[in-house]
Amino acid sequence: MDPSMMAGQSAPDLSLMQMAIYGAGIMFLAIFLNLMLAVASLPIFFASILAMFLGLKVLQDAPDPIGKFSKIGGLVFRNLLRNLLRTSLTYVALFVLTGMLTFIYGTVKFLGDFTAEKEDSQMVIMSEKFSIPSQMPPGYANQLKGVIETLPPSNRPRPLSDEERAKKGIATSPLGSIKAEELERLFVDDLDKNPASPQRQRFEQLAAQGIKENFMTWSFVGASLDPTKFTQENNLFLFALDPDAVTSGMMSEQGLNKEDLGDEGWAEMNRVIDLVKEDKQNIVVGEDRLKIIGKKVGDKVKFYSTNYKDITFECTIVGAFPASSRLAGGAAMRYDYLLSKLDGYQADAKNGGQPHPQANRCLNLAWVRMPNKISYQALAAKVNEPGKFNAPAAKMETFSAIVGSFLEPYKDIFWGMKYIIMPAIIAIMCLVIGITITIGVRERWAEMAVMKVLGFQPWQIMSMIISEAMLIGVFGGMLSTWGVYFLPRAIKYGTKAIGVKFAFFDNFNMPWQILIYGPALGLAVGLIGAALPSWNARKVKVSEVFAQVA
Amino acid sequence: MAIVEVRDLYKSFSRGTERIEVLMDLNLDVEEGEFVALMGPSGSGKTTLLNLIAGLDGPTDGTITIGGQEISSLSESELARWRTRNVGFVFQFYNLLPVLSAYENVELPLLLLPMSKAERKQQVLNALEIVNLADRMSHRPGQLSGGQCQRVGIARAIVTDPTIIVADEPTGALDAKSADAALDLLNLLRSELGKTIMMVTHDPTAAKCAQRIVHLEKGRLVGSDTYNTALTASARPTHSI
Repeated sequence: MDPSMMAGQSAPDLSLMQMAIYGAGIMFLAIFLNLMLAVASLPIFFASILAMFLGLKVLQDAPDPIGKFSKIGGLVFRNLLRNLLRTSLTYVALFVLTGMLTFIYGTVKFLGDFTAEKEDSQMVIMSEKFSIPSQMPPGYANQLKGVIETLPPSNRPRPLSDEERAKKGIATSPLGSIKAEELERLFVDDLDKNPASPQRQRFEQLAAQGIKENFMTWSFVGASLDPTKFTQENNLFLFALDPDAVTSGMMSEQGLNKEDLGDEGWAEMNRVIDLVKEDKQNIVVGEDRLKIIGKKVGDKVKFYSTNYKDITFECTIVGAFPASSRLAGGAAMRYDYLLSKLDGYQADAKNGGQPHPQANRCLNLAWVRMPNKISYQALAAKVNEPGKFNAPAAKMETFSAIVGSFLEPYKDIFWGMKYIIMPAIIAIMCLVIGITITIGVRERWAEMAVMKVLGFQPWQIMSMIISEAMLIGVFGGMLSTWGVYFLPRAIKYGTKAIGVKFAFFDNFNMPWQILIYGPALGLAVGLIGAALPSWNARKVKVSEVFAQVA
Repeated sequence: MAIVEVRDLYKSFSRGTERIEVLMDLNLDVEEGEFVALMGPSGSGKTTLLNLIAGLDGPTDGTITIGGQEISSLSESELARWRTRNVGFVFQFYNLLPVLSAYENVELPLLLLPMSKAERKQQVLNALEIVNLADRMSHRPGQLSGGQCQRVGIARAIVTDPTIIVADEPTGALDAKSADAALDLLNLLRSELGKTIMMVTHDPTAAKCAQRIVHLEKGRLVGSDTYNTALTASARPTHSI
């Protein structure tokens, strides 16, 4: 989710017609790419079929019953290889349809995961209740921290334990070693209430650190490098925040974490953040944005705020957010630099001692990472208490709920994708395979009858036909989903090895489950699609077939 | 001793509300090792009778006993098992599987029997030797002539050493020379191997190869001609189809 979306907190300004055009364009592109991939994978498909067939041929020399069954099984492969054009077309159709299904599934799952309410760690956001964009007084941040301090110990945000820090690549706590067991032991409601007790003192220390590590504020600063005009090539969108928010993992959702950036990228990000901490005028700009505005790391820039009128910032670019991160098109600055500029505005004699009009509305969002859903609900209840956060009124929501609200206008489209388009694609897949197998069975009607005459049981004939369908289905489903899963990764690592980087492939991550779902879907589609034709073949009436033939 | 006993056989089909009586009150005995030709005009019920005897269809009424086993009461899967062991079927249009070689086509019914690989191979080779096609065993049907295909079909019919061989117009799709060869082969099976053969044919010359010709008309047995010795096709002066 692009963080700039949070700035407006409203649905994107797209009409349904535009959505339909974009959607159709993406669909056609996806179909075209899938088609190319399907055709390119045909040799793999036939090589696999041939390899399995040759494997069965080798097994035919094995002692019975393996040898015998291998001979009967070989018939399935011979039938598939009998009409290469039809088998190819069926495979290509299944490949493309599975690819489309995977694409839609990936999109729906991605959005579903994003909007799903989590039971464990909850990223919650306080924003203005009735106004978009949210603009709150900066004092709300400390007020919110104060509210958090009133929560019972079990509901307080906890500092990261040693294990979590090691896993996330976050530096050791200023409080020294913090064991997970210690947090479990101290963050309980029946903790000794005596302020002088060592347990209570340690808890207060940890709780204060917990708030520090699990709290951040965002202020949005729009700016232009040119005071007279605002264009795509000279504008900047900055997040004003405390640099510690990056190193404590609060910006993980925005792709600033060890997992997304890799060990080297994360180390570099920490180095850059250290530079930002050294001087409040140091800023970090996304790689994509740097290219657009024609700047590079090390450059000094002066920019003019568009939403903080008459405020000018003079900064040094000390680092870049990587192209793969969600901040590649944005930038970040220190919140205290924004505050000092606002203070400077009031202190400036030419402003007559008046505060900047935005001074009391410069806090856009306040984020808190709560340990679980219950603690979030406890905090939300406190925020909503009468008398608190009422000028202007604020609300507290989970990040996923906000994303959900953002996507609300499109929920019918997503519903349609999930419950109409996906089942429709599966139904088409069944029909494609069903038609192919029906044609095949019709062509071999007399052969089925002969097999029956020779003594083949109806279920044996049925199994052979279903096996043909399932083989095409499994390969179509498997190669399609595996292609969609592995190909972008191969491109990503391949291009990385030669020093080229494509942001698209860095972000294109399908869930690993598709590796199983693809072949399983192909298997199921083959089974369903072949059900009717194989049932007909099972029931073939020999005397009638030969009466027609004669 | 009769290896085929047909008693009070009735067979009817329904076409919409209409009921068509195909075979009526039919009784027939075929001795072991006998070569019987079924003749009659189109629609007389010859093929229906052959299908019933081969266990491809069930009678409406009456009984059919083959080799002491009453088949009219067997279920579909029991009939399938029974057919594998007891019936060799020769088709007019050979009906070989085009994706299999001659050897594999002949071997196909043996895959359904509990038989070792060596036994299976021996039997397939024997059958192909009998039909004189051992040198073409690796050829597919598309690479064989019509007459050769029919010989493969006959080899497939005899490979399981069945109780009875049924042939439905076995020469119907062959030229005169190939037809003679196929009939000679059937005669050879009867004379040398003692096989019981029932053959449906329209061709009177082909029928003369049989020891007995059974005539059907409108679903009833109307008479039979018995010959002391069947003539081989090559011994007959002319062959006309």
